[in-house]
Amino acid sequence: MNPIRKFFETQRRHFEPDGRLARLEPFFEAMEKVFFGSADVTRQAPHPRDSLTVQRYMMMVIVMLLPCLFFGMYNVGLQAFKAAGLPLEFGPMFWLGFKTVMPLVIISYLFGFGWEIVFSTIRGHQISEGVFVTCMLFPLILPPTTPWWQAALGISFGVVIGKEVFGGTGRNFLNPALTGRAFLFFAYPAAMSGDAVWTVAAGNGQPAVDAVTAATPLVVAASAPADGTVVSALGSAGYDWSTLFFGFYPDSIGASSTFLCIIGAAVLILIGVASYRIILGDILGILAMGYLLNLLAGPDSMPYLSMNPFHHLLMGGAAFGIAYMTTDPVSAPNTNGARWLYGFLIGVLTVLIRVFNPAFFEGIMLAILFMNVFAPLLDHIVVRTRVRRRIPNV
Amino acid sequence: MQKLTIKKGYRLRMTGVPTDTITDLPDPARVALLPEHIPHIKPRLRVAEGDPVSIGSILFEDKRDARWIFRSPGGGTVSRIRFGPRRVIQSIVIDRPESGEEPAETFTAVDAQALADMSREDLVAHLLEGGMWWVLRQLPFRDLPDPETPPPMILVGLDDREPFQPDPALYLDGRADDLAFGLEVLQKLAEKGEVVAFTGHDRHTVIDRFGQHLTHVVQGIYPSEDPATVLYHLKTGPEQNRAWYIAGQDLLALAAFLRQGRFPIHRVVAVGGSDAPLRQHFRARLGAPLAQLADTKQLNGDSRLIVGGVLRGFGAPPDGFMGLYETSLNILPDGGPAEFLALYDPGFKKPSYSRVFLSKINPAQLVYTCHVQGGERACISCMHCAGVCPVDLWPQMIHKAIHAGEVEEYLALGLLDCVECGLCSYVCPSKIELTRGFIEAKAAYAKELAAKSE
Repeated sequence: MNPIRKFFETQRRHFEPDGRLARLEPFFEAMEKVFFGSADVTRQAPHPRDSLTVQRYMMMVIVMLLPCLFFGMYNVGLQAFKAAGLPLEFGPMFWLGFKTVMPLVIISYLFGFGWEIVFSTIRGHQISEGVFVTCMLFPLILPPTTPWWQAALGISFGVVIGKEVFGGTGRNFLNPALTGRAFLFFAYPAAMSGDAVWTVAAGNGQPAVDAVTAATPLVVAASAPADGTVVSALGSAGYDWSTLFFGFYPDSIGASSTFLCIIGAAVLILIGVASYRIILGDILGILAMGYLLNLLAGPDSMPYLSMNPFHHLLMGGAAFGIAYMTTDPVSAPNTNGARWLYGFLIGVLTVLIRVFNPAFFEGIMLAILFMNVFAPLLDHIVVRTRVRRRIPNV
Repeated sequence: MQKLTIKKGYRLRMTGVPTDTITDLPDPARVALLPEHIPHIKPRLRVAEGDPVSIGSILFEDKRDARWIFRSPGGGTVSRIRFGPRRVIQSIVIDRPESGEEPAETFTAVDAQALADMSREDLVAHLLEGGMWWVLRQLPFRDLPDPETPPPMILVGLDDREPFQPDPALYLDGRADDLAFGLEVLQKLAEKGEVVAFTGHDRHTVIDRFGQHLTHVVQGIYPSEDPATVLYHLKTGPEQNRAWYIAGQDLLALAAFLRQGRFPIHRVVAVGGSDAPLRQHFRARLGAPLAQLADTKQLNGDSRLIVGGVLRGFGAPPDGFMGLYETSLNILPDGGPAEFLALYDPGFKKPSYSRVFLSKINPAQLVYTCHVQGGERACISCMHCAGVCPVDLWPQMIHKAIHAGEVEEYLALGLLDCVECGLCSYVCPSKIELTRGFIEAKAAYAKELAAKSE
């Protein structure tokens, strides 16, 4: 017999109803499902069932997040080495990034999964795999200098208040990872914004959590001098088009690379996990609003208004948010029409927040959370319209 | 002949298709009637164990309307009446005589001329008395219809694309007269209502040979040929919601009953599925034992016998019988041990509606098992259910409305249009029993309506 099978079979008795750890049965089930499929058979029609499970569905998202995670590790090291003026060698850079990022990922999983176990045990539900995605998303949208205790607090807030209090995955209306991020953003603004948090210090024996100052592209864009253009300001800060596109700039850990987000979004659309309607809606919204601002821009207005709208997609976390956050099926609207509108409004709000609100350089986080709240309303409108078109049958 | 195109639905690429071979089976030693699997009825027995019966003797009636009687599919002795939980009558088994003639009742035969001269009341009375009313059913609840009210429409579905059901070309072969006569009967029952007869657009043999009797051909995948789907796409107003429908073989049985004056006891049954020892068609007795259709000794214990299609049928033990409405027996692998590292399998052979598995690019027909595949989770709004629903429902919203007890809400969302095809339950990654919930909610609502009208 397969030794892993044997291990689970011998341990199972502890988790059965009269076992010592009976209350932790959801944990046992979740662990067993990592290694084994289900042996349960249907009790009623339809007799065969689709091979797709929530577990698999969520795993596809996690797999597509891994490139962002590894790129994030590399980029954290790269930015630190650049700031410290050290030679850019791949090995040490990646190791620094790994040392910085991995604890945050581990903390995120430890606390997020921990809360999920606590709540499923009390409720007697099975563990829903959505929490694994949340725990992967959350560290990727943190600044690399985030203190560990804040990461633990953030993921706890996101999972508990953003999700568990409403009944767990599937019943939440806010994206839990973003809820946790927003909590940290408002509770600890000094650690979550400003120029000092996006780059870790490297070398000279300093602890890695100390930060160095480097303005992110969004800050550069928002504070471009009135007599220049945003592109020239970005250029003089070293953020040319390809740097932005591939993501080699200081930003949240895994959210900087538009290139990887495009690949991730394309694969998720291809396998049907992400809604292309939301993604296209997002992009259209950003471009439309950016273009509208171009039209409104006068000679005296700030240069951010007349920036090529495509730059909004390259800078900051917009691409990451579009690919992985707006497409969360639970917090997005369910109906196709509402999905277009939801995406479009997120795009519009993102640009508005970025351009006109000096306190929030990154607009997409708040735009998504704001539209999460409105998703049921958008659904309601679409449902009423469609129901009116049905021939009533009562 | 009009063409109706239905875009939604889903085709299971299941291996084990029955061949076109058709074999006549000898009369079995015993046949049975399964009241448990006739939806909605409340049977009151008219026989007891040990009673002698003939083909066409009354076995039980429906307490709700004593005119709805159910007659025996065999002659001999009632050997066993099996009760289930809460005294539900599971089966009435009739042992046929070992030698000699099987006793049968006779009824007045009705020819085309007699039918034309008959009033609707006389025809209805004749059908009720003959125990043939069960062939007719009324949407949306799929219950027996009220005999007095002529329906707005009667739908005749010759086809069934659920895996696996008999090929209409096989059971219609040589029965053109019965088909034509049956349609006449339906027109009489419908009075001014429309009789809509249809088959799939790719059933070329049926269209060539019986095309003059058809009003529509339906282009689409399962369950495009279901009467409820066709009604949804044809109806022009709410008055048509209570249309009647009849399955192809039941229509032939109805016609045969009237023309010959004998209770019809034969039908064509398809046997399919990857575990079926012989995948083909049989001409078998109504209520035939399953052991006659598939050599159950050849099956190891890991197969499931499904009476009816794999999406709507019911599981039965090897010593079970065919149901009154079911026309197929499908045998699938029941399960087996949990697969090691199933989560990381690229899934070249894992059937799925989604595009998450490589089976999407595998053109082969696949083996489907009766595994649930995963644990039950809360709905994550993946919308696969809405993607397959043939009548444009949002199953997940209806499911939530049912849970919240919002009757008005789920009716407005169109619960009563539900085809009960089983596709939403099939595709659900959270393994929610959507179809079962809808059938139960519909039945509860039907009960409420019945109580209100009394």
